[in-house]
Formats: sequence, C-alpha cells, structure tokens
Amino acid sequence: MSADEFDPMIERLFAQSPRLADEALFLATVQASMEKRSRWRTLALTGAGLVGGVLAVREGVNFNFSADGETTLTQGVRTAAATAQGAAQSGLEGLGVGSFDLMDGSGMMAFWIVAGALVAVLAAGLVKLSQDV
Amino acid sequence: MRPSLLRDLHDVELAAQAAAGGRREYGELVRRHGSAVRGLLRRMGAAPSLADDVAQDAFLQGFQRCSEFRGQGTFAGWIKKIAARLYLKRVAREARYVAEVEADEADVVVDHAGFMDLDEAMKTLNETERVCVSLCHGAGMSHPEIAAAMNLPLGTVKSHVKRGLDKLRARLQPAQASGGRSTHVG
Repeated sequence: MSADEFDPMIERLFAQSPRLADEALFLATVQASMEKRSRWRTLALTGAGLVGGVLAVREGVNFNFSADGETTLTQGVRTAAATAQGAAQSGLEGLGVGSFDLMDGSGMMAFWIVAGALVAVLAAGLVKLSQDV
Repeated sequence: MRPSLLRDLHDVELAAQAAAGGRREYGELVRRHGSAVRGLLRRMGAAPSLADDVAQDAFLQGFQRCSEFRGQGTFAGWIKKIAARLYLKRVAREARYVAEVEADEADVVVDHAGFMDLDEAMKTLNETERVCVSLCHGAGMSHPEIAAAMNLPLGTVKSHVKRGLDKLRARLQPAQASGGRSTHVG
C-alpha cells in the first residue's frame, strides 16, 4: 500500500470511533460537574455582588461633598446621595436593623466582621472551585 | 428545548447556544463527541479511567471556552485538541515519558478473520510514537503544534510520526487488504 493510499485510510480510521457502552454515564458525570461548577460560580458572583453592594452603600453613606465650587451638578449628586442614603436607611429599618448606624464605631465593626466573613466564604469557595478544576 | 430538537441542530448551532450558557445544548455535544474524545485519549495511551477523567475536564473546559469556537474546523476537532493538550499536561506532570517501553509485538491480537483494528495496531507503537500519531491524525494537530505541546524538537516529532505510521502501515496493510470487518461507527 502506497503512502497516498495509506494516509487517507489512517485519517478515516482515526475519524471512526467506537461508541462506548457507558456513554450515558459519562454524559451524566459531565453534566453533574457542570451543575456543580455553575452553583459555585453563582455563589461566588452573589458573594462578590453582596460585598460590592455593601461597600457601595458604605461609600454612599460616607460620601462628603465639598461645599466649594457648588454647582447644579454637585447639588444634584448630593440630593441623589441623600436619597440613596435615605433608601438604604429605610432598607435597614425594613430588615429590623434600623438602629444599625454605619457611621458609628460599633456599626463599622459589625460591617467589617460581615465583610470579613463574606471574604472568608468566598476564599473557601475559590479553594473548592480550584480543587474541582 | 426538547432532546429530539437538539439532535437536529448542527454542532456549530449547539456550540453557539452553549456559549450563551446553554447546558442542555452542550450536553448534546458531549453526547455526540464523548466517545470520540475518550477513544482518542485511549489511543494516546491513557488508561480508561484516566481517559475518562481527562475527557471530562476537557468538556468542562470546552464549556467555559465555547465562545472561542466559531465554527472554524469541526467541534470534534476543537474539543479533541483541548483534551489532547490536557492529557499531555497530565502526563508531563506525572513524568510518564521517562520510561518508553516498546510494545511486545506478541501482545498484538489478530482475530480469526485476520482483522486488526486501529486500536490494536496502535499497541505496536511506543508511547511517544503513539502520542505523536494520535495528535497528528486523531486530534488534527500540525507537527509544529505537536512539537510545542510536547516540548520536543520539530524534527523529532516528524520522526516519531513517520516511524509510527510505518509501523501502523505494516500492521494494518494485511488486514485491510483482506477486507477486514469493521465494528466502528462514524
């Protein structure tokens, strides 16, 4: 058999693959892994979003506009910040933690404890995710 | 989407939907090509359990990278390359290229009809030849791609492929000439 005849034949042989008997089991295993990874990704994104949201609210509450150079824009931003701050406060009250003041010392302590716990959970999730990968 | 409808879709359409997060669509791709990927890894010399493990990782990686597949070539070729590279990394990590054992030619089985399939013929190749030939003809990788993936000189890769093909030709020729049966599906 010449090389011209053999090369297409070997390509054809490689292109043909036997259907393995446990094909369905393999598919189920891959799908289960995909589901698992999806759950971890969702958890990680939710956690990151939560931390980001908390930081954003905190920054919004702490934001201090300069009185210098007062313009319509800064007035508008200040009004919006005050509105957001009010909404955040009413949200906290709705959750039954209306006394939680982000500005005082104990509030900040609680904030950092929660943030630290979330970071720890995220780190644990990432470690688990890396083990899966 | 119902499984019956998924089966009507082309690989490229399924991959596009999988890239948008369609797990069922990607599952259909796994169903279609799972055996081929696992078969390739076994031909490369992986034990069945390792082949399944690497194939699973390849499909999971393929799902994350599905947006990179835009229909250039076949999905099967694309996922096989991912699987082959993952296998090479796994093998390199375990330093399995240290010992190259020539297959005992007596191990090659020729059945009563004189048919010897490719998988049996591959056993006559040593490990590096088997990997090089599989990457070249099974995963569709070019010689330079193989050289880069295996960290071998290009000339060495070419030699391994040529020697491997020579051995396969010597083994397969009688079987093919006698019109051996085939149990494979496309």
